[in-house]
This record gives sequence, structure tokens and C-alpha cells, in this order.
Amino acid sequence: MTAPVTLTSLNHWFGDYHALRDITLDTDAGEYVTLLGPSGCGKTTLLSVLGGFIEPTDGTVRIGGRDMTRVPPARRPTTTMFQDYALFPHMSLRDNTAFGLRMAGVALAERHARAHEMLELVGLSHAAASRPHELSGGQRQRVALARALAVRPDVLLLDEPLGALDLKLRRSMQDELKSIQRSIGTTFVHVTHDQEEAMAIADRIVVMNAGRIEDAGTPARIYRQPSTLFAADFMGDMNHIPAQVSDGIATTAFGKLRAPNVPDGAAVLCIRPEALGISGDLDIGAATVTDTSFFGTYVRAHLRLETAPDLKVTAHLPPENPPGPGAQVQMFATTGAVSIFAKGD
Amino acid sequence: MTRLLPWLYLAAAFLFIYLPVAALVLFSFQDGGLPVPPFEGPSLRWYADILSDDDVMAALTNSLMVAVASAAVACVLGFLAAYGLARHVLPGSALIRGLLIAPLTVSYLIVGLGLLIVIQRTGLGLSLFTAGIGHVVINLPLCFAIIYASMGAQQQNAERAARDLGADEFRVITLVTLPMLAPALAAAFFLSVTLSWDEFIISFLLTRFDVTLPVEIWSMLRSGLSPRLNAIGSLVFLISVTAVLVLEIFVFRKRRP
Repeated sequence: MTAPVTLTSLNHWFGDYHALRDITLDTDAGEYVTLLGPSGCGKTTLLSVLGGFIEPTDGTVRIGGRDMTRVPPARRPTTTMFQDYALFPHMSLRDNTAFGLRMAGVALAERHARAHEMLELVGLSHAAASRPHELSGGQRQRVALARALAVRPDVLLLDEPLGALDLKLRRSMQDELKSIQRSIGTTFVHVTHDQEEAMAIADRIVVMNAGRIEDAGTPARIYRQPSTLFAADFMGDMNHIPAQVSDGIATTAFGKLRAPNVPDGAAVLCIRPEALGISGDLDIGAATVTDTSFFGTYVRAHLRLETAPDLKVTAHLPPENPPGPGAQVQMFATTGAVSIFAKGD
Repeated sequence: MTRLLPWLYLAAAFLFIYLPVAALVLFSFQDGGLPVPPFEGPSLRWYADILSDDDVMAALTNSLMVAVASAAVACVLGFLAAYGLARHVLPGSALIRGLLIAPLTVSYLIVGLGLLIVIQRTGLGLSLFTAGIGHVVINLPLCFAIIYASMGAQQQNAERAARDLGADEFRVITLVTLPMLAPALAAAFFLSVTLSWDEFIISFLLTRFDVTLPVEIWSMLRSGLSPRLNAIGSLVFLISVTAVLVLEIFVFRKRRP
């Protein structure tokens, strides 16, 4: 079961604190959406609004076309996978998983069959009779997923579900979450502060900051052509190069670039480290390597541009024969990978 | 020598704590008429004597009834107060919590006197029922504190999850809150039972014809020392120890996963 989610002009205040500002978002049914942002950006508040745990001050939440803004969690077609799993410690995994069905009045045999099916989906059917405290963190995670999916929700809400797992387990759970989502087709809304996790699993990333949506789109688009400086910085390492814009032309230390749609005045030119290198269509000029570190698939180098000696840039260079510290390199960038934002944006 | 010292200290401490109890129990088996050395016996005559004494047995039953009933009432009230204060934002909730716990600091004598005055004003005659009220008054703060302390965030999240999965408030409480609180509820209940079981001054002030065991013992004491009292004391001690052991085995052990 699946449904689209439509949020219109959501605003929420906690007392004087404006936690959500004009959130408008339209997701498709069956989409994997991640809400990405630093702590305090409002992403968890937004998830709570979707789940019905917080009633927004104004705006509407529609799920599958029905207005759900003031409907309590129990009567929404959503379920939540909580950050700390929130399993019932006094129940077996089978009873945990079947809890939602029990609430819906499903007969014992049927709900046990369904619970078994869900535990099978997450690979824990052999442990149906154990209690949550007998499981590892990753396994509890899976039970929480099975429990939330057992009631066949239209939308599954995931609140930093992988935050407590170690890196390796997190990677494998990401793959698993994504493949489960593909196979059942339910709309997933996943909150995280880890941009790599967001890119790894999402069909669409919604970048949030200070209660606002900064950018929303596919991972590739947001990474390559972010709409705001915040989104550009949050998605990964970014070189900031000061520029001055007038009449759609940006002037920088190493030359002029076209900058349509950027207002006149001080601006910032953003280039990802991997878009800077020894080849490209935009000549940045000579630079001196100050230090390098080896990362396996690339060498991360800090460089000082000849044209702007007080500017330090980071580039990812090929790992074969990297230039050592002190070496002179001719640097290029790819024009398509350059974004320009007005300063203070 | 220095290694022996801690052990000597331990032995001395335990001797200090348990010697009175040991003496009490030992002389309950005295074959003579006075619970003083030299020890003659052992004999079970005093146990036979008290077990066939209707007054003592009635007092023992009364005590058990008052203890169990007042502990149950204190637990129910304590749970309701804890649930309300832990799950809802109320104006002045810190003050309410303080007022609920404050009676712990009032001496039993003052609580007993206060209740005596109020009960006589209302015309409610003194009985086991009024003693039970007194025990609820002294045990409620304790039950509230124990239950409130264990209604942490983990529980709140589980309740949230239950609501999210379609449970109404009644089923949240019966299927999630209460089972998760079972250890705290049991601890509060058994502690209340033992406190009520041992309590003298409030029972003394608030009972008249039917009395609890401590009051019965006190009235027997007025006619002088006798191994009968030792036998009763040993029985009381046995029952208290049983309650504590039950608590330890079935409640606290379960808590450790």
C-alpha cells in the first residue's frame, strides 16, 4: 500500500520558536524521500507532523489526497520506525510485530501468519519467540521495521533509524531498507543528518535548514547543482571562491564566468573538490600544492592559487603519481560543476 | 593482619545488626518462662501457645489484610498520579510532585495524630479501615516516587509507538504502560506491604477493637517479657523476610537482562 504525501504551507511554532517555516512539498506514491539537515533544522518536527504526533500551527497535510492535518497517529495510514526502536520489551518479536494488527482487530492466527511473513522479510523469522533484549541493535532495528510494516501503512516514517548502528551495519541496512522499499512500494520518509546516507538511499532528498526547505530534488541534482549555498555546503566538501557579480558576469581572481540569475554584488563560487583537477574546460591557473593525503581512490590535495595566494582550495587528484607538496600544477575546473550564489544567501 | 581487618570489621558489623534478631529468634525456642539466658530448650511450646491464641491470630490476619489492601490502594493512586504527571504537562507540576512526596518527611506520629483528629471530627469510627487509610497516606508518596522514577523516556516512546500502531489510550495503558511498569509496581507494592506490616504508631492511634499485630504485641508487652513475644516476633520477622525475598527473586532479578 502506498500513497502520495502533499504538504501545503506548513508552519509550526514551539512557543516563540518558529520550527517549521512555509513547508510545501509534494511526493509521489512509492517514493523514497529523505529529510536531510543538521540537528535543529526541523526535520524531526516535520516527521512528527506527518505521523500526527505534532499538530502544525497552520498548513495542511494530505496523505493519499485525504486531509490528515488533525487526525491522531492511531487513525493515520502512517507508521513510524522510531530512533530508539521503541520495541515493547515485555513481548516476543512475534507479538511486537503483530501489535498493530491486534489493534486493528485481526484474528490471532492471521496476525501471527502476517507477523511471521514480516519477520521473514527482515530475516528474523527464526527468532519470533525471543524478546527484544536478546537481540543486537541491528536486529532490533529490523523488528521495528517489521512491526511498522505489518499494518501495511501507506507511508512509513523513519526517524534517524540507522543512527545507533556502526558504519558497516549502517551501509548494509541502507541497502536493505532500499530494497525492501522497492519490493513493497510503500512511500518512505526517512530523516537523517548524514548526507551520504541520504544520497545512498533516496529517490528525492529534501535539504532542510532553520525550519525551511533549502532544496529538494534527486541526489545527483542536489549534489551537482544545488539551489542554495547551504545545500551546496551540506551535501559535501565545497570550495568557496569569492566573486563579484555585475550584469550576469562573475569576476573572480582567475577570470570571468557567466552567472545568469545571480543578483549584482558579492557572490560565492562553489566547486566540489572532485571537479577541480588537472583537466577541464575552465582554466583556474597555476597553483602550488601545500599538502596531500591519500584516500585510496583519490588523493586529497590542498593548493594555493597563484592568482589568489590567500585562498586555499581542496582538490581530489588521481591517486597515480600525485604531485608532492611544493609542486606547481596547472588547475582546471569543469564549468558544468560550478555553482554561483549571491553572498549571504 | 591488615588483610584480616576488613573481615573482622564485616563480622562485627553483621554481629551488631543481627545479634538482636538472633537473640529474639533463639529465645523464642526457650523452654522456660523468661526469654533470658541461660537458654533451655529448644521447645516449640510458645509457638503452639501463640498459634492457638485467637487474639494473636486475629491480629495477624488483620495486619495482613490492612497491609495488602492499603498497599494495593497506595499503588493504584501512586500509579495514577505518576502517569498524570509523567505524561501530561500540567501547570505547577513540580509543586504537585513536591506535595505528593512531602508526607515522607512527616513523622508517623504527626500523620497519625492529624488523621485521628480528622477522623473523629467526621464521626467515622476508629477501625482497621481507618488504620488502612493511615497506611495509604504514608505509603502513597513512596509508591508515587518509585513508579514515577521508572516512567522514563524509553517507556514513553513505547507508548508512542503503540498509539502510532492504532492503540487507544485504554489499550496503551493496559498493554504497554502497566506491563512495562510491572517491576516498579511490584516493588512499590511489596515495600508498602512490609512497611504497613511493621507499622505501629498509626495503627495504635487509629484502631480500637480490632487491632493489627504490632498493636497486639505492644499490649502484650505491658504484662511483661515472655518467650511468647519472641515467638510472635520471629513469625513477623519470617513474614517480612519472605516478602523481601519474593521481591528480590521475582522483581529485581528479572530487571537484569
